[in-house]
Amino acid sequence: MIKPLRRTLSLLLIAALVLGSLPVAAAPAPADGMVTTQDALAAERAQGDRERIHAVLAREDVREQLVAQGVDPAEVEARVAALSDAEAAQMADRLDEMPAGASVVGALFAVFVILLVTDILGLTNVYPFTR
Amino acid sequence: MTDCPKRQRPPTRNARLAGVLALGLALLLLAGCASAPRLDESTRQAVAPRVLLDEVPFHGQRDYQCGPASLAMVLQHDGVATDVDALIPQVFTPGREGSVQPEMLATVRRHDRIPFVIEGRLDTLLRELDAGHPVVVMQNLSLPAWPVWHYAVAIGYDLGAEQMILHSGMEPARVEAFRPFDATWARSGRWAFVALSPGELPATIDAEAALQAIGDFEAARGAAAALPAWEALAGRFPAHAMVQFALGNARHAQGDGEGAIAAYRAAVSADDRLAPAWLNLGLALAGAGRRDEAQDALSRAAALPGRWQARSREALERLEEEPR
Repeated sequence: MIKPLRRTLSLLLIAALVLGSLPVAAAPAPADGMVTTQDALAAERAQGDRERIHAVLAREDVREQLVAQGVDPAEVEARVAALSDAEAAQMADRLDEMPAGASVVGALFAVFVILLVTDILGLTNVYPFTR
Repeated sequence: MTDCPKRQRPPTRNARLAGVLALGLALLLLAGCASAPRLDESTRQAVAPRVLLDEVPFHGQRDYQCGPASLAMVLQHDGVATDVDALIPQVFTPGREGSVQPEMLATVRRHDRIPFVIEGRLDTLLRELDAGHPVVVMQNLSLPAWPVWHYAVAIGYDLGAEQMILHSGMEPARVEAFRPFDATWARSGRWAFVALSPGELPATIDAEAALQAIGDFEAARGAAAALPAWEALAGRFPAHAMVQFALGNARHAQGDGEGAIAAYRAAVSADDRLAPAWLNLGLALAGAGRRDEAQDALSRAAALPGRWQARSREALERLEEEPR
C-alpha cells in the first residue's frame, strides 16, 4: 500500500520539479511584461501552456534522437535551436518514419519491374533512362 | 433455388479475362490519378510564358545528399557564403540516410534566411519562379509503397511545352513534363519552400503563413534579424492586426519606442479586440512617460476577457499605484 503510493508521489515530485524548471525556457517573457509575438501567435492558435511544455520536452527528445541517428553531438545543439516548436514536436513524435529526402533506390527486382512500368507511364520518375 | 446455367465456361478463361480487365482498370485508375495538372486561367495571364533562373548555381548530389545540395543552391543564390560540405553536418541525418523537412527549414534559418513553405499548388510554384525565387520541392520519385524521397530545386518552367526545369540529383536544368513532375510532387503533399532574405516576401504567401514563418525565424534568430521582415510584411498587409502587433514588438526590442507605439496603434485600430496589442501599447506608452494614454490602453486590455486579462489587470494596477 505504501510502496505504490511512494512511487506515485516520487513520480509526481519529479514531474513537478522538471516542469517547474521549464516554463522559463518555454516562454522567455521579456522583463518588461510585454506579450511576445510567439506567445500571442501560440495563444491565437489555442495552444495552452501544456503544449509549450510539451515543445520543450520535445526538443530534449529530438536532441537524443539525433545523437542516436549518428549526428555529430557538437552540431546537435545548433540544429535543435533552429527548429520551431511545431517542427521540434513533429520530429520528436516521428523522426523514424518521416520522409527523409535521399533519392536512392534500394528496391527489390519485383519492385524494379513495377517501377519501370510506372516510370514509362509517367507516374513515377525513378530511372532516368526511361525518359 | 436458382437455375444453374447449362453451358458453363471453363473457370480459367473467366479468371484470365477478369485478370486482364482488372489490370487494365488498375492502369486506367493510376493514369487517371496522374492526369495533367490544371492551371488557373489567372495564373496563365499573370506569369511569363517561360522562365529560367539560370543564375541559380548547381551542385550535383553525392550519396543521399540531395538535401544539402538543394540548400546550397538556394542559399548561394541568395548570397549566403556556404557550400555542400558545410551544410551536410547541419542538415543530414546519417541514421535516416537523408534529410528531414523540418531540418531543411531550420538550416535555412541558421543562415539568416527565412524559409517560407508555400501553398502546394502548381500555380503557386510558377508564380514564385516568375517572381525570381527558386523553389525547393520535395518529390517522391517512386510509388507510396516504396518511397524514394528527393529534394530538387525548381528554377524555371515553360508554359507552352508544359515543362518544369529543375536542378535535380546529378542533372542541372533537368526538364520534367508537368504531368510526371506533378505526380511525383503530389506524393510529398506538394511540399515546397522558398528561402528569402529578411525583408523579401514570397509572391504568393498569405498573412497567416507569413506570420508563422517570420515568427519562427524571430524565435531562432532574434528580433533584430527579423525586423526587416516584419516591416515588409506590414507593408503588404497594413490592416492586419497581428502583423502590426509583431512589428511593434520587433521595433520595441530594437529600442524604437515611438515606432513600436505607432505599430501597436495600427494593430488596435485594425482589431480593437486584440488584447495583447492594447497591453503592449500601454506598457510602451508607460515606458515613454505618457501615463494617461498608457492608463487608457491598459484599461482596454484589462476589459477584454481571455488569456491576457489577468496580466493586463496587474499592469494597470501597477501603473495606478505609481506616484504621479
